[in-house]
Amino acid sequence: MATHAIGLFETPSEALAAAGELKGSGFGQPSVISPIPLETAEEVLGEKKSVIKRFTFFGALFGGIGGFTLAAGTAVLYLHPTGGRPIITWPPFLIITYEMTILFGILATVLGFLISARFPAFRDRIYVPEAAVDKFAVAVACEDEGIFEKAEAILRGAGAGEVREVTE
Amino acid sequence: MSSDARPQELTYADVNRDVVRSLVETGSKYYITLACSIGVMLACFFFPWFYQLYYGIGAAGVNHPSVWGTYLASFIFWIGLSHSGTLLSCVLHITNSEWRKAMYRSAEAMTLFSLCVAAMMVMVHVGRPWFIHWALPYPNQMEMWPNFRSPLMFDVMAITTYLTGSSIFIYMGSIPDFAAVRDRTTGWRHHMYVLLSLGWRGTDLEWHRLRWAYTFLAVLIIPLAVSVHSIVSWDFALSIVPALHQTIFAPYFVVGAIYSGTAGIVTVMYFLRKYMNFEQYITKVHFDNLGKLLLVLSLIWTYINIVEIFTGWYGGTSTEGEAIRYRLFGYYAPLYWEMILFCAVAPLLMISRRFRTSFVPMLILSILINIGMYTERFLIVGTSLSRQYLPDAWGLYVPSLVELSIIVGSVAMFITLFLIFVKIFPSVSIYEVKETLPEPEPEPARAAGGPEWQPTR
Repeated sequence: MATHAIGLFETPSEALAAAGELKGSGFGQPSVISPIPLETAEEVLGEKKSVIKRFTFFGALFGGIGGFTLAAGTAVLYLHPTGGRPIITWPPFLIITYEMTILFGILATVLGFLISARFPAFRDRIYVPEAAVDKFAVAVACEDEGIFEKAEAILRGAGAGEVREVTE
Repeated sequence: MSSDARPQELTYADVNRDVVRSLVETGSKYYITLACSIGVMLACFFFPWFYQLYYGIGAAGVNHPSVWGTYLASFIFWIGLSHSGTLLSCVLHITNSEWRKAMYRSAEAMTLFSLCVAAMMVMVHVGRPWFIHWALPYPNQMEMWPNFRSPLMFDVMAITTYLTGSSIFIYMGSIPDFAAVRDRTTGWRHHMYVLLSLGWRGTDLEWHRLRWAYTFLAVLIIPLAVSVHSIVSWDFALSIVPALHQTIFAPYFVVGAIYSGTAGIVTVMYFLRKYMNFEQYITKVHFDNLGKLLLVLSLIWTYINIVEIFTGWYGGTSTEGEAIRYRLFGYYAPLYWEMILFCAVAPLLMISRRFRTSFVPMLILSILINIGMYTERFLIVGTSLSRQYLPDAWGLYVPSLVELSIIVGSVAMFITLFLIFVKIFPSVSIYEVKETLPEPEPEPARAAGGPEWQPTR
């Protein structure tokens, strides 16, 4: 059970400034919860690396190889000679390969998104309903009461209209 | 362009309120329209279809030599209509166009439902839809396996991929909005949005992952969309039928598809704006930009039509010449000239900005364009097979009442699906519209120093 201090801000710039200050004051990684994606969040909270591109790449690779194997394997297993043409005919099989590359690229991207964003998550987690409307929230983990008060002071000082203590 | 596209005097809370209202407040007009469209769908699509299943495919007007009729024309039409939604949304997402944000969700829905209707048209066309799974590669006791050299198999693969990709793309972009709606709804709606939002909270990590995944999907879907209609064109162009065996068919189909799809978006936007009260979100700027796009597409489409006739004439073969002569001056010539009027001449009105920013004229024109584009598909499918090679192989194709009824029913099916969509999906993207609004300002009291803070625990 971890306690979190959550500050609610009117503007994204205030929220990001507070997150930066918390980070600089030795707190753990703060989380910014917002109704829109914040382009500058990474500048304050540090660059995030995503594994999604690897999922996309390997998914597409698997789909491409699988698609060609499916088409060529069918042609080899079910021989159907046509007008002296090769059994493995590249032009039509490349179309199947292309479509399967994209299909599995898409499916793997979704899988990568779900895993890396930790979805689906139906258990109780820190949530700020106002941050789905027009407020910007900053949440940071606090080990004890003294640390919470320090975090609250920083959040208030940065312009938080309200600070909540939430136990996860 | 971007600042003009921004809805004026709206706040973040207004956007949430307006979109949630469009989902939960339903007037009698909606129910009457839904009941009518379901009624027309049952009477004009499913009843004739079951009639055809019971009495056999002879209930349709297709027969030798014209074995392809309105079912396939409708299939191409609906696939074409599906084209602009997700494709346009992906292109505008990658190019960071702000005017996309208020309209893309509905455009993507149009893609999805057009594809569903197109798939139904295939079911109707094949005659025995209970064997449709034979088109899929699965181990079976008959040792039957699809022939991957056939353009029809290209179709199965391409459309399955496009349907999957489009469904995922619209769903993924909607997750933050499902979460926003989740908090404002009760009862079964709340439970549904809890499941659909997957536990979205809006943290910086979630936004980061969504942005990456969404962009990757957009990049994957653009070439996919182009391939889908190219493949549909190869169903015809890879045959040796005069007027169909053309190298220009793939770009011709792709441009035609985007053209009719964009016109479809204009139609959908008009009704969404008027009947879902999104006047502040879907503005003249959207119609102006879509009008410019339509104008360019109509010019490209006209150019390809001219090239198609020129190359046929210049080739000098008797079969190709006869096919062209038949199309321009034969039995179906009135349909050809109607198509030219609606798709090449009438769209020139959009040169005028005043026309592009007038809602009703744009609606009428968009419907005319799609009538013209349906005619184009009918001419490609219906007239080519009825006039190939030797005169003893010539014939005439006239759609039966069953076929004509199913065309009407397919439109009703699309409308039904869309009406259900607007009550489940936020039809305007909440978070992306908010991105176009001015950033919230700090409250004056706090900006000026504000009162001392007090602990709130």
